[in-house]
Amino acid sequence: MVPCSIHDTVRRHAFLLVRHPAFLGAVIGILAALSQSLLISAGGPEAYGFCVACHTRDLVNGVTNILAGSSLALAPISKNAVLPVMSVVGVLIGAYVSARVNREHAVKKGSFRDYLLYFLGGFLVLILAMVFGGCPYRAALRTGYGDFIALLFIVAMALGVVAGTVFMLKRAEREDA
Amino acid sequence: MATGVLPVEIAVLAVPAVTLLLGVLIGYLAQRSGFCSIGGFRDYFLFRHTRILSGYLALIVFSFLGYLLFWTLTPAAMEHFFWALTSGPFTPVPGAPAGLGPAASILLAVIPGFLVGFICVLLGGCPIRQAVMTSEGNIRAAFFLLGMGVASPVFAAFVSGWIVFLAKSLGLGA
Repeated sequence: MVPCSIHDTVRRHAFLLVRHPAFLGAVIGILAALSQSLLISAGGPEAYGFCVACHTRDLVNGVTNILAGSSLALAPISKNAVLPVMSVVGVLIGAYVSARVNREHAVKKGSFRDYLLYFLGGFLVLILAMVFGGCPYRAALRTGYGDFIALLFIVAMALGVVAGTVFMLKRAEREDA
Repeated sequence: MATGVLPVEIAVLAVPAVTLLLGVLIGYLAQRSGFCSIGGFRDYFLFRHTRILSGYLALIVFSFLGYLLFWTLTPAAMEHFFWALTSGPFTPVPGAPAGLGPAASILLAVIPGFLVGFICVLLGGCPIRQAVMTSEGNIRAAFFLLGMGVASPVFAAFVSGWIVFLAKSLGLGA
């Protein structure tokens, strides 16, 4: 159907925009800055608006501290607030709603070996991200904030991706032969 | 201490709500677009596809623009913007293990960076992609998140101290 009114054209472009990764990149960038501008009085660190690894750490350690009375380390903003940062819970809810609404929700199971590998992978990725002080997303925010160490992280990550891809290709070739 | 738009008493209440709303929006858009930092570099390397990579590059550019915008609007909330000029380009940031010098910070960025890239590309996605796949019903990705959750207290209780000890023994302390 050819769009025949301004209304249709706007709707079609909005649809394409929402589905483009660059739009989400821009949304996270701007909203992370807005969130810091609003909330930083509660505590630092800076350039902390969105991070999957750090915010998971804050959520798990913060809730554990509240329930068990422990004092596991977490970012000041989550320590001072009534509850820790909830971005990861939000991402899970948002993606679930989207998957349901757009009929893309389907349970995919794996083998026991898969589960073990993914568990180990998640475990290692969180530890490594915390050693650096952020996941790929906070690395991007920190780069935007002017931190060159984060830029080194991104370059190293790109090289790691290339090495991992080559490794997978080599393994696939061996299996074919 | 940086001061934001909201006073402390309100900010401490607003933190969970604002971050939750932000997360819902990001999660919805991430599911729609297939946004992934690792996948972007992978697709570019394999097929020269730039669609997913454009998301990550836009994030870097727009976070700079966003911080610049809000730095002009609320300078008190952006105390150390632009980091390289206010704190020196290679000073350790808050959030990473404390008490280490610049050489340690660079090492602790490059080594984890490489390994995160390597591991994540083998498992088919960066942390946000794993979260989105979990919501789509992928049980393997759910185990990735579980691993991240279990690692959180382990890092805080043990690994953080070990890293600082190791770096200081190598003469990389602050």
